[in-house]
Amino acid sequence: MNQADVSKLVSKLRIKVKAEHRNLRNPKGPEGRIDKLRKTVTGLIKFERIEVNYNRGDEARQYAERLISEAIRHGDCHTPTMKMADFWLLEKELVHKLFKVLVPRFENSNVSFTKMYKAPKPQYSRNLEKAVLELRGNPYPDLFTKQPNNRLWIQNVLLEAAKHDYRQSKYAEIAQNMAKNEEPTQVNSEAPKSEIIEDIKTQ
Amino acid sequence: MKRHITYLSKTLNANGYTKCLPLSRFISTQEAVERRNHIFSLEKKRQIEQVGRIEKIEVRYKGIPKDTTFIMNKDLSTPYDCTKHLGQWYMESSALAVLDGSVYWDMHRPLTESCTLELQHFKVSEPQQVNKAFWRTCSLVLGACATNAFKTSVPVILHSFPQPDIRSGSFIYDVDLPSLPDWQPTHQELVTLGAEYVKFIRQNHALERLEVSAALAQEMFVDNEHKTAQIPSIARTNGKVTVYRVGDHVDISKGPLISNTSQIGRASITSVHKLTGSSESGVKQLYRFQGVALPTGVVLNHFAFSILTDRAKKLNSARSPLGPDIFGKKEDDMEVQQSAAAKA
Amino acid sequence: MIFLEFRALSTLPERVEEPPQEEPKEVPQRRGPKSTNPILEHRHIYPEFLPDPNPKWRNSLREKMERADMLKRRQQIDIPEFYVGSILAVTIADPHAQGKTNKFVGICIERKGCGLRAEFTLRNVVDHQGLEVRYDLYDPTIDKIQVLRLEKRLDDKLFYLRDALPEYSTFPLDMDPEILPEGTPVPVNPLKVKLKPKPWLERWERQELKGIANIEQYLTTTNRLNRKLRQTPWEKFDLMKQYRKTIPMEEQSDIWSEVNNQLQQLQMARKKMARKRTFTAPKTQLG
Repeated sequence: MNQADVSKLVSKLRIKVKAEHRNLRNPKGPEGRIDKLRKTVTGLIKFERIEVNYNRGDEARQYAERLISEAIRHGDCHTPTMKMADFWLLEKELVHKLFKVLVPRFENSNVSFTKMYKAPKPQYSRNLEKAVLELRGNPYPDLFTKQPNNRLWIQNVLLEAAKHDYRQSKYAEIAQNMAKNEEPTQVNSEAPKSEIIEDIKTQ
Repeated sequence: MKRHITYLSKTLNANGYTKCLPLSRFISTQEAVERRNHIFSLEKKRQIEQVGRIEKIEVRYKGIPKDTTFIMNKDLSTPYDCTKHLGQWYMESSALAVLDGSVYWDMHRPLTESCTLELQHFKVSEPQQVNKAFWRTCSLVLGACATNAFKTSVPVILHSFPQPDIRSGSFIYDVDLPSLPDWQPTHQELVTLGAEYVKFIRQNHALERLEVSAALAQEMFVDNEHKTAQIPSIARTNGKVTVYRVGDHVDISKGPLISNTSQIGRASITSVHKLTGSSESGVKQLYRFQGVALPTGVVLNHFAFSILTDRAKKLNSARSPLGPDIFGKKEDDMEVQQSAAAKA
Repeated sequence: MIFLEFRALSTLPERVEEPPQEEPKEVPQRRGPKSTNPILEHRHIYPEFLPDPNPKWRNSLREKMERADMLKRRQQIDIPEFYVGSILAVTIADPHAQGKTNKFVGICIERKGCGLRAEFTLRNVVDHQGLEVRYDLYDPTIDKIQVLRLEKRLDDKLFYLRDALPEYSTFPLDMDPEILPEGTPVPVNPLKVKLKPKPWLERWERQELKGIANIEQYLTTTNRLNRKLRQTPWEKFDLMKQYRKTIPMEEQSDIWSEVNNQLQQLQMARKKMARKRTFTAPKTQLG
């Protein structure tokens, strides 16, 4: 059991974080891993939508989220955050983009700052999963076109008709049951029953 | 042999003996199918030869991937030929063409003049006409399937199928089986019928359209007393009858139909009901074949499809061609030739 | 500054005369909703209330029950605020002699563990013999925990005291408690210790420790080279490593708002006690 580190306060990330980090395989070890991720994070901030291998993309996504959340939390007058941005963004004009463009964009957001999709891979490739990593609110068109379900498609017409049929049969059944139940009762209950039947007929 | 029969029927027609000498007695169902197919081929060849000098027309295509103009052959090129210039996906998925934004045109029907062209598949935003064409095609193929499915000892005389009504839940074909007065199909027989149906649509037949004169139509369907009786009323408006050929099966339909049977995906024949007629019509009874099908590419889970098949088992409430007293409307139920042909 | 340096040289830093410092400077208001929440400051005083950051060991129900148990225990005995580097006296029931107690005084060299398993280690040199005792913070046999001197050192762990000269970890067993005036921030003792020559228990030179004065004189060239090779300068930029070590702010504020009321009541009770003690202290001296 470890005690939580209390020297720094961090905002909670809105994405799922694995318990363990991934060792992205490379000859330089942890340093090489961070270098790889720096390149990916820089690319993400620069192009706003990139295609990467899934594992690397997922790791880089966490770092990008953390970087943006730190920038939002501390602003551009906070030296450690500035140093952090300077370390992670290899192209220095992106530091301005981070504080002047991305921070206002995500300041009042309640969801994650990035999105990741699994991308298709060629049929006869090595077993490398591809992913598309993008910032929310990027200027590109959506990757998924939301196709609304059309009521007029033939399967929907058929199902709709089947539903209507089923309802009609149920109404008829209910009406029959009511008629059966009310037969032995008083005469004054006649009126509502006939009304209900009328309703059913008009439908 | 075929030519002989044709000649014979021609002379009989000319002499007005058709009524007193029904030919159906002399040829089996299979022979009749072949004969009809042969006549169709001859007539098609004749019509193509009639075009003579080839003229060019301009077809302006609107839609994905981009608007283009095709130079096509008048009276020869079809919308299907246009899709060949666009790509395989368009060839396979286009079900119906729309000319000038309003006229619905078969994919295999030659274009007659310069026009704009749009292609429709089953997932367009306004798919009513495509759905109707699909349902009509399903009925027509059901007729072909019914003709094929029975043994040669059982004569099958197709009667007609009504206007497509998708909300009724099933497509239907009314068939006369004179040698089976009281047939209750077992579950196994229905499954076999369904299998025959699927086998037929998997052969990927294109649906070819032809307009023939009433006399030739009479000759094609000379063995089929019901169709022979229907043809005069169909041809009443302009003396033409639209026939379609799918595989080797030829049938009358008002159209338009979809492009290919491969566009019919999941299908099942759900029930066969007996319709008994009143005494005044000549036919005593008919069998109403019912089925339900979905286009290729529509994924529906098995439970939802089972709801549809269960519903399609109930007798379809479309007008019966036999008894006006059953469903209470007049008898001219067969598809009357219509507006789509009026354009031609 | 002079005052601080002066204290660095003395083993007994003086305190009471120190004028209460002015309020800590107001943090410039940042844009956005993320202004600092005062209840989050509890995390320094009660770090064991935060759960283990490793998601493998998380269990919200167990954590809640443990917090309730910890608060109950804190109502039984007064567990004061202390840090690594503070000097404590712990009285514990003697397991071998019924009804008798043991008292140990020492400097806290480590705090670890969370929940009911929180523990701390005290170190002292008695009769030229180094002694370390590990106590569970919520051990029911503990009678009393008294803070003799409340201060912090330059490092988070003081294991290097084991290899330092014994006078740095020698504290008289009869030390008097030193009282800080109310409202003063906890002082940081900038004392740098001198190490004994090698052999050492650990490679202190690789740990970037601030509290060691004379480490360079014992290092060979190989040591220096190895230290350079083993440096991990990227680690302080590893945002996710930091994230995986701590509990995020949103979760913390849930936890602290759950226990805040009771913790404040305990603090009030302790202040009352402290006031009484200041009145009674002169009498004992006279006696």
